[in-house]
Amino acid sequence: MRDVAIIGVGMIQFGRRDEDSLMDMLANASLKALDDAGLGDKSVDAVVVGNMGSGIIQHQTAVASSLVDRLSLLPAAAETVENGPASGGSAVKNGLLAVASGYYDTVLVVGGEKMREVTGWRATDFVATMTHPLAEYIYGVTLPGMAGMFARLYMEKYGITREMLVAVAIKNQEMGGHNPFAHVEMAITKEGIYDDPASIVNNPVVADPLHLYDACPVSDGAAALILCPLEKIKNPTKPPVVIAGFGQATDTQTLQEREDPTDLKAVTLAAQKAFEMAKLKPSDIHVAELHDAFTILEIAESEHVGFFKKGEGGKAALAGKTKLGGQIPINVSGGLKARGHPVGATGVAQVVDIVYQLRHELSKDRQVKNAQNGLTVNFGGFGNNVLAFVLRRV
Amino acid sequence: MQKEIGIVAYKCRKCSKLHYPYHDRCLACKSREFEQVKPEGKARVLTFTRIYNLPWGFDQRYLTIGVVEFENGVRAMGQINVDEQFDLKTGMMMKPTWAPVREQYGEHVYGLVLESFG
Repeated sequence: MRDVAIIGVGMIQFGRRDEDSLMDMLANASLKALDDAGLGDKSVDAVVVGNMGSGIIQHQTAVASSLVDRLSLLPAAAETVENGPASGGSAVKNGLLAVASGYYDTVLVVGGEKMREVTGWRATDFVATMTHPLAEYIYGVTLPGMAGMFARLYMEKYGITREMLVAVAIKNQEMGGHNPFAHVEMAITKEGIYDDPASIVNNPVVADPLHLYDACPVSDGAAALILCPLEKIKNPTKPPVVIAGFGQATDTQTLQEREDPTDLKAVTLAAQKAFEMAKLKPSDIHVAELHDAFTILEIAESEHVGFFKKGEGGKAALAGKTKLGGQIPINVSGGLKARGHPVGATGVAQVVDIVYQLRHELSKDRQVKNAQNGLTVNFGGFGNNVLAFVLRRV
Repeated sequence: MQKEIGIVAYKCRKCSKLHYPYHDRCLACKSREFEQVKPEGKARVLTFTRIYNLPWGFDQRYLTIGVVEFENGVRAMGQINVDEQFDLKTGMMMKPTWAPVREQYGEHVYGLVLESFG
């Protein structure tokens, strides 16, 4: 296996992008990554696109074949990877394995999704198609609904309070305000969403016990990166970042079949494998992008990957230990909560954000000082397909 | 006449692990031999949520959904038919029924609906 480096990254602003088609977004993010890698007029061996819903939302399939044509990357190999909200992470994994194996030398990985093209009703239904068709979907359960049921159990078992969830929301939206690619750039305060009468209007329940500000937005967006073998990099203009570790694990499709539904086993296993491969431990990580589709997930994942003991993640968030400058800065990009969650883009965007961190390219209101190692967790389904990557600055 | 609960769970003949929904191999021991089991008795609420942002196909203000465990150990998701004022709690016993849970192509789709006893 060869060491695999990320030599170029690109991202477009997430949000509501009525002016762009899905293909526009994938192409623009890809061009940025190609330019960043110094391959602006060159080709690549292969392209992997992470996308969950073009077949449903845009009524368009085989987007990777379309993208290589549009980008004049022919005759590069191309395929689309669909793995629910972990499609982006799976695309990175497929590119990683292709380069690590020695089969390809340069792979463009791009993740993208255009979700705001349809009404909220339709978008919610589209995301819910990942639930079990007979045992879950028919009842009208949504992903916020799954998160609500998980949150109730997690909060009861570990004493997580709404104040702790609100602390995550405030932190991530504040960071989104510093991120030019974020969907949500509006900082929020505890007053108005937590403990005053206006919070009933400002922060209504969406899937109790979760409220509006516990959930990520529905977004359009795309992010891309270029992979190549570390050994082939000569005279780099930017510090190379390697994917030092990778792990993936699955769990039961339905929450009800998990012995302990509060135990996110796939998160633990994916992270353990990634740490093992990288020969690092949680305390070696300087910055992390966790899949905070809901605030409760950032807290739960921060425990399951090993940053905090079970039951301590909420207290850590409340104490500011996960803020920029804290013990382990989490989602200083704003996370899914503020950067947004175009489902197929998220897993790639998380890696791109860690690359910015490890190259030390960000403004001081977002840069983790001297960050050398980073972690990403991309959470598919409701924790039934999870990918983790450990990145290291060379 | 009340409809029979249309859920079939699967008990592994080798290790007795109970499954719902169906799996081709036992999640514990990978055996392929199962005995069909119908849910029995009342249903205890393990967790629940009230969803206010509903997906396409539901023309109502909210929907209460939960995961319950029947007295013989079968676990399933279902809709909980209680109003907003009802003080629903985990651990509460509910009466299981088999009733329309949504409409598709002009026809009712039946599923598990939990009712309160009081």
